[in-house]
Amino acid sequence: MSTFDVPIGPMHPALPEPLLLKLELEGETVVGVDFDVSYMHRGIEKLLETKTYFQGLPLVERICGICNAAHGLCYTLNVEKLYDKEIPPRAQYLRLVVEELSRIHSHLLWLGIAAFEIGFNTMFMYTWRDREAVMDMLEAITGNRVTTEYSQIGGVRRDIPPNLADKLLKTMDIVEERTKYYVKVALTERTIAKRTQGVGYLSPEEAKATCAVGPVLRASGVKNDIRADDPYAAHSDVPFNVITYDTCDVFARIVVRAQELFECVNMIRTALKNLPEGPYRVKLPMKPNAGEALTRVEAPRGELFHYTLSEGALKPYRYKVRTPTLANLGALRAMLTSKGRYVVNIGDVPISYGSIDPCICCTARVHFVDLKKGKSWVWTIDELRERSKRGRLLP
Amino acid sequence: MSMEEEVLRELKEAFGDKIFEHKIQKMRVYVKVPIDSYSDVIKYLVLSKGMYHLETITGIEVKDGIEIMAHLGTGLCISVRTTIGKETPKAPSICDLIPGAEFYEREIHELLGVVFEAHPNLKRFVLPDDWPEGVYPLRRSFESKHNAPLREGFE
Repeated sequence: MSTFDVPIGPMHPALPEPLLLKLELEGETVVGVDFDVSYMHRGIEKLLETKTYFQGLPLVERICGICNAAHGLCYTLNVEKLYDKEIPPRAQYLRLVVEELSRIHSHLLWLGIAAFEIGFNTMFMYTWRDREAVMDMLEAITGNRVTTEYSQIGGVRRDIPPNLADKLLKTMDIVEERTKYYVKVALTERTIAKRTQGVGYLSPEEAKATCAVGPVLRASGVKNDIRADDPYAAHSDVPFNVITYDTCDVFARIVVRAQELFECVNMIRTALKNLPEGPYRVKLPMKPNAGEALTRVEAPRGELFHYTLSEGALKPYRYKVRTPTLANLGALRAMLTSKGRYVVNIGDVPISYGSIDPCICCTARVHFVDLKKGKSWVWTIDELRERSKRGRLLP
Repeated sequence: MSMEEEVLRELKEAFGDKIFEHKIQKMRVYVKVPIDSYSDVIKYLVLSKGMYHLETITGIEVKDGIEIMAHLGTGLCISVRTTIGKETPKAPSICDLIPGAEFYEREIHELLGVVFEAHPNLKRFVLPDDWPEGVYPLRRSFESKHNAPLREGFE
């Protein structure tokens, strides 16, 4: 049978972000897939080389809106490794609290989107309503709903006072109760089972070979979580279970993420109970030592990787970021091109794609658009500043 | 002997003086190897040590060339680094060992101009379609201040 190509995206109602999926179809089944992620390139790695370490933090937080807590945490942990200074344990605990809170909000958001993709809009509304409670807590703790910028180089920006901790614990009770209900729905509701079981299959071997990360890898039955394997912040003191599930399909990814919510809730409770006394921030000098540092953080979407090379100057010589979605793209391709029993129908593409919890904005962050045709002109940043002072951007 | 030292000792036993530079941090091992043993060291780590997981590959322009560094491992992270020349940078692809390396190598190919030999699909990935050939944005010579015109035709 001859094949034909169907492009989906970069702007398409079924995809939340600018990704071009070039599907090769044989009838209604997918036999090949190619990606184009180049629609959102912002040149952040290059830009970080022109910023001091302290200026880089707000930029790094904006790599991804939803996992900004993970990015900020990874960046600060990474830069702190270049100093020889102990970070107060209280700061590490507070970082963990906010990191896990943002994981709860991200997973609830994803559960809603997954439900939406399979046409289960009631669950979408429910999860997003409950997510609001978590967002309110994030706002109360950090001062901002989304881009929290809580973790700073040397500690955290604010303390959590006891009355706020009590409020947070009450919210955790609500989240736990609601999550129990979602897990019940996910495990017993026939609509979800019919729509997600056997869809988007990723075998453990393929998951390992394509270097998948995070819930996608754990839903294929591979026990891998950087919080357990290489603990950072206060993760070595706060116990938790690494959730895995072995059906390797979209259903497994729903179960893994839902179960992880309980772990997050318990971790926040433990952390708040054992919160050490002491300062929550230390002052660090502008210039770190020369050297290199490599940090990995378990972001809601999977393992996040930051590497920096310092020459002992104000600015990093090189800053490398690898986001979880980039690592999961290979897994997505393996999922979509499954053969035999798990062959993917074109109708299953959105939920399979959604099941990796994609964030293209984090993936495509490497470049500026620089048109070199016709009359091109260049403004340096100083010129731009000068013009904005005069109140006129265009000549 | 700590876990990091143990791994380094085993690597040195297997490769001898091919490992001409090394560094140990907590849960991190960095080893520097010549370009012709780069894929052998990775092969050894993947097949004999079971380090199936590739975190990413970092490309850096350093003084005497371009450094590529493969970060392997889930808990303990081993970074295998090698330096290649700036003029015609060429490196062996590790996609046959670790299929997940494909996107990382494509990224480095575009941003630093390194050609990965025997790569299955070394085409454009992260840069826009109309990006000029032979311009590598992560090179130090690329001026990051030059931004695109907001609209064409304005002078």
